[in-house]
Amino acid sequence: MLKLPQSSTDRKHFVIVGALVFVATIALGFFLLAILPVKAQYSVQAEPIRWLFQLHVWLIAFLFALVVVFMLYALIVFRKRKDDDSEGEHFEGNTTLEVVWTVIPLILVIIFSFIGFQTLRDATRGGDEVQVEAVGFQWAWTFNYPNGVVSQEMVLPVNKPALISLRATDVIHSFWVVEWGPKQDLVPGMTTRMHITPTKVGEFKVRCAELCGLSHWSMVATVRVVPEEEYIAWMNQKLVEQNIQTASR
Amino acid sequence: MQLTSLGLVRGIIGYFVGLVVGMAVVMISRLALGMSAWDQEAGWVGGIIFATIGFMLAVGSMTDWLKWTRGVETPFHHGPPVGKPAWTRYFSVDYNHKVIGIQYGVTGFLLLLIGGSFALVFRAELADSGISFLQPGTYNTFLSMHAWVALASILLGVGGMANYLVPLMIGAEDMAFPRLNAFAYWINVPAIITLMISMLFGWDSGWTAYPPLSLRGPVGYQMVFWAIFSIGLSSILGSLNLIVTMLTMRPKGMTLFRMPIFCWAILATSIIQLTATQLIGLAFLMLSFERTLGMPFFNPLYNALGENIGGQPLLFQHLFWFYSHPAVYVFVLPGLGIISELLPVFARKPLFGYRWIALSSLAIALVGFLVWGHHMFTSGYGEYLRVVFMISTLLVAVPTGVKFFSWLGTLWGGRLTFPTPMLFTLGAISVFLIGGLSGPILATAATDLFLHDSYFVVGHFHATIFGGFVFPFFAAIYYWYPKITGRMYNEMLGKIHFWLMTPGFWVMSLAQMTAGTMGMRRRIADYDPALGVEPVHMLITIAGFVIAFSILLMIYNLFTSAEVGALAGNNPWRSRSPEWQIPSPVPEHSYAQPIAVVGEPYDYGLAGSTYVAMAGAGDD
Repeated sequence: MLKLPQSSTDRKHFVIVGALVFVATIALGFFLLAILPVKAQYSVQAEPIRWLFQLHVWLIAFLFALVVVFMLYALIVFRKRKDDDSEGEHFEGNTTLEVVWTVIPLILVIIFSFIGFQTLRDATRGGDEVQVEAVGFQWAWTFNYPNGVVSQEMVLPVNKPALISLRATDVIHSFWVVEWGPKQDLVPGMTTRMHITPTKVGEFKVRCAELCGLSHWSMVATVRVVPEEEYIAWMNQKLVEQNIQTASR
Repeated sequence: MQLTSLGLVRGIIGYFVGLVVGMAVVMISRLALGMSAWDQEAGWVGGIIFATIGFMLAVGSMTDWLKWTRGVETPFHHGPPVGKPAWTRYFSVDYNHKVIGIQYGVTGFLLLLIGGSFALVFRAELADSGISFLQPGTYNTFLSMHAWVALASILLGVGGMANYLVPLMIGAEDMAFPRLNAFAYWINVPAIITLMISMLFGWDSGWTAYPPLSLRGPVGYQMVFWAIFSIGLSSILGSLNLIVTMLTMRPKGMTLFRMPIFCWAILATSIIQLTATQLIGLAFLMLSFERTLGMPFFNPLYNALGENIGGQPLLFQHLFWFYSHPAVYVFVLPGLGIISELLPVFARKPLFGYRWIALSSLAIALVGFLVWGHHMFTSGYGEYLRVVFMISTLLVAVPTGVKFFSWLGTLWGGRLTFPTPMLFTLGAISVFLIGGLSGPILATAATDLFLHDSYFVVGHFHATIFGGFVFPFFAAIYYWYPKITGRMYNEMLGKIHFWLMTPGFWVMSLAQMTAGTMGMRRRIADYDPALGVEPVHMLITIAGFVIAFSILLMIYNLFTSAEVGALAGNNPWRSRSPEWQIPSPVPEHSYAQPIAVVGEPYDYGLAGSTYVAMAGAGDD
């Protein structure tokens, strides 16, 4: 059985706690990654988001372990024993420590501000090889393509940078395809934009993420990401269906 | 005793008389202007304004002021009302800060139960996918009501702790302005009635009430706007009173840095409340005016050329969050103050870094004014603003970190005991840690673009509020219960309450965050089982009901212990704070003689030191 030192400032305490914090950080990090499965994974813009999220998780695991291990250790080691009526050790603070735990978080904040800025840039930029306008209204979506095609589902070619213009006609809505990552509000009176480069073929859902009234929960439309040939074929078929002259593009 | 001798009963009668009078005034005015008599928007707004005034007049909260205008003297009456049972003073206007503190606290607790019950209703609905008993319209109303009722309960709970404790802690006879204090409490009551009436009509925007949605929905919105305006007025007046009390009524020897640390938290809170609440009051009045009078503040309107000659929806979001973000610190700073207040007592050690903790509250309050835009990362405002608000938001971590580390320093080397208040204090730290650490994920804008308006935000927010308010509030109730009632609560029941509620909350909180990362949106009446979130929702619902059950145990405990609990004595916790040096329950005049401060507040373990000299007061 480990014999713990009496004095609270003995180095032995901190060695033990340090080791426990290390173990707890690893365990907690993997636990959090397991219970927080970030489902944003099928677009170029989702990558930096997932990366930053996981970086956060490890920092959180460390800070959570640090505080909780220190706390639990103190609760056990410094609990009042049965026949001990003495008071706790008398120290009122330590300015060096306070400065240290002000400055280190400040440095972390600066680092994360920089990383956050870069990640934000990567998660919001892209090209406009494909353009589509998504119009949200209570409680459905319509998608307008520049060539005049109007669709109830959104179809995009895979791996092509798309610029989605967003417009609301009544109240505020928000455009969110979980698998793509970022979301963007649609605000009456202005046009907002988002860049998405889908990287996986498949059928997804765009769901309204801003409470917009009675049927907000069911304001859902289908989003299909298809190979480029299929996209062209679909577009041509729509042009014919909707009787649009290709020349007018 | 006649029922109408209770101020509350008279107030409610006054409310409904005022409602009818107000509606009649509007109808007559409309007829005089040649319009149809009844317009529900204008009718209800007029009705609510008159009803609120009617309540405040009838309850008697303005009686003394009205007498002053006629030059009538109004001597201060101390003690229970003459010729009525003592309990009646809690249902009428009373100027004693301890009575007002209890009124605030009990009303806040009741609202917590009501707001929590609303959550249970829709948690039951969300336990599995598919709409089972709550139709989307009703769901939206319950969800929106849950938010505002719970937020009102927090504001009142904070008011309860501040009003009861601050004058006691600084040895003051009462608050600086006792009549204003009573007014600030009572204005909440008609507001709550108005808020409840809104349920009859429904409203569906969530507490944020973003236009244009809030400009289109049912007339229930008008009631929400005016109810929140009144509750905001209460915040402003109450915080003014607290600031003046703390700055001018401290005893000899109590410098600012010798105040009990809870007072620092309330000082920081009051500064926010005094200066930020106007913004939400204004924003909600603008919504009401836009609905009632057609003033074009927020809803875009186009002329024939397609130019916007109307309003801008994002303007509202700025106004709203300019209050509502700092408001979160109003909710949590007092709770963090409670943690700092209780830890030294149960560690038998000085508070580690008193000045750092005191100033970190102010720092959080000040930085809190600079971060509102992080609620708008996806809103479509200028993209560079995302960077500005990301940095300012991350800065909040610094003073918050100071608090956490200083708490650890307080525990380190102590002689720790774990009665229920201490358990809830430690639970608060653990829960607030979950809330705090999930914050930076939402602060860095890129990750927020994914998680905004998802259940991750729900998890983060509830963890900060439970860790920053609910747990410390419960700790405070258990801790000061013997001082208020003179009897101890039941320790065994208190511990069961803690061991049900705390793990229950951890599970609920983490499960909400899990659902968020899986793509679960906030505020939806039903969800797509294809997301795979159904088991997670079941878990959240079960955890929610466990928490609710544990709170029932607390209520049972508090009720029964008031009769059968062991007598507490003056100072069961061996605290140095002045309120524990006087009898329990606290006498009508708390301190028979003015007290003097002769030492530091938290010098536990320093032989021969005392904090206050009682000058002959408080002998049992």
